Amino acid sequence: MQDLSQTRLGEVIEASTTAFNAQCYELYSLPPLGTLVKTCEGDNELYAVVHRAFTEGIEPGRKPIARGKDEISEEAVFQANPQLSKLLRSEFSALVVGYKNAEHLHQYLPPHPARIHGFVYACNQKEILNFSRSCDFLTLLLNAKMETPSDELVAAVLRLMSASQEDTRAFLIKAGKELASLLGQDYARLKAILERIRP
Amino acid sequence: MLNLSHVAEQMELMVARLKVGEKDKSTRLATALSLLKDKNLDFAKLQDKAAKSSKTSPFLLAGIVEPLSTQKPHISAPADFSIIATDGSQVDVDRHQSTRCFLINIGRVRLDYGQNASAKLESLPLLYASDKDTVISIGHQEQMIEGPLLNLKRSVDECRHLVEMATGLPPTQPSLAIIDGSLIMWQLSSSEFPDFVVKELLDNGFMKYLDGIKSLAQKQSLSLASYISFPRSVNVVNTLRLLLCPNELADCSKHCCYKSIGQRPCDDIYGVQDQDLFFNMLNTGERSAIFTSQAKIVREKYGEHTVHFFYLKLEDEIARIEIPQWIARDTYKLDMTHALIFDQCLRGNGYPAALSEAHEQAVVSDSDRENFQQLLSTWMADEHLDYASSAKSRSKKTRWL
Repeated sequence: MQDLSQTRLGEVIEASTTAFNAQCYELYSLPPLGTLVKTCEGDNELYAVVHRAFTEGIEPGRKPIARGKDEISEEAVFQANPQLSKLLRSEFSALVVGYKNAEHLHQYLPPHPARIHGFVYACNQKEILNFSRSCDFLTLLLNAKMETPSDELVAAVLRLMSASQEDTRAFLIKAGKELASLLGQDYARLKAILERIRP
Repeated sequence: MLNLSHVAEQMELMVARLKVGEKDKSTRLATALSLLKDKNLDFAKLQDKAAKSSKTSPFLLAGIVEPLSTQKPHISAPADFSIIATDGSQVDVDRHQSTRCFLINIGRVRLDYGQNASAKLESLPLLYASDKDTVISIGHQEQMIEGPLLNLKRSVDECRHLVEMATGLPPTQPSLAIIDGSLIMWQLSSSEFPDFVVKELLDNGFMKYLDGIKSLAQKQSLSLASYISFPRSVNVVNTLRLLLCPNELADCSKHCCYKSIGQRPCDDIYGVQDQDLFFNMLNTGERSAIFTSQAKIVREKYGEHTVHFFYLKLEDEIARIEIPQWIARDTYKLDMTHALIFDQCLRGNGYPAALSEAHEQAVVSDSDRENFQQLLSTWMADEHLDYASSAKSRSKKTRWL
């Protein structure tokens, strides 16, 4: 797998204790749903998973309009209107799922939110492996209130994390057991997630 | 507060009046169009009468360069070209505050089309606060920069930025610099401003920057135009009035001084605007004949930049394009200006895309203005500086019952 140790995805533009929004430096350079990302807050390294991404006009009052009726390709639309790439921005939102302080990893909320203008990086394989040794973070995801259905997000996170494991099957079984203990009373929901992570 | 129910009654009367006037106006428009399209018109005679009457007629005439009935289609825009445009806005001096300062925000846009399509959009605010920056002075005479004078200073700044941007354009590729509004600095022709102000803003400002663009345009394929959307000018209609005037010289104060509007022979086309004429005559993409401005300030001050203009038919409206003389006399640059302006309007949904973006970069919204004042007062307070405001200003900000 490609080493993404220095892949800077964007910059925090809004932050709270439970989540942050980041703006990408390049249009459409959005991390996939469920990507494990990190940002620094003082001595803490905050970990979060991408739960929503969107592209919109920079200014709230300017709504994009259809421009491609007479163009042969989508690329031609941008060529004929070169200003568009400067007037649109891509953003993603991430749910905080833990933090690292002095080599100690915690899968619960950090004491402080991310900082505005903090750089956001994609976690590399080593960091993903380290983080996914425990699945305690699933509690935060299952209980989060957000636009994206939490079942979809949990499944996307586990699919991506499993791709970084040496033993994919063992990881998914461990995660499945954790989900079963958390969703024991809700068989339909558990089934829906398990169906989405089946190898 | 506005009592809308009272306004509505007055609006009803206004609309009724307009409806009656519309019928008369269409008759007058038909008359004007027939004069404009007249193939048997003695062009040289009209040209001569226009030139001779420019000082005796109270109407501002359009100087005639090409036959009035000219309709010219646009050439195709080249594959690769660049457009640069500037626009500006300002936060004027607040006379209710003790601190005297103003801000000019310039929006600059460069759009490259074709193989290497790209865009550069910039918003460049500049705060003017020192005594030297906020007045125009010569010897013991000085004029505070605020209100209409600030508008003029902003226009000069827009042109200065245009020159700066033009220096970075690729020399071999066709390019067009667009200014928003008129090339004619009308306000400077009023007696409101003393000569030293006119000299500073026009001779040492606007004209100097037009010189700069011209000098670059001599070395590269660069054109310059200003764009006026929905123009309300009547210069061409005024020239057509000469055809209805029975006198050798249109000396209105001599022949028609006791006649009221509607009684003069030339009133058969009264109320028609140039845009009405050309909207009915031109096809989309076509330009009208080239005309020259006979404005006093242009005749006296513009020299080689003497303002020429033509009308351009767009899908839904007529635009007035003003160009300096050196563009009007260069067929290649004139055709390129026509083609690129029209292309910009197509890309910008009826208004030049680059100007539209420059405006977006320049605009200072109401909330920006509030934030500006807030920031200024916070900064002053932090440094324990006096930031007194008038009681009137405070009363507007804090309303009570």
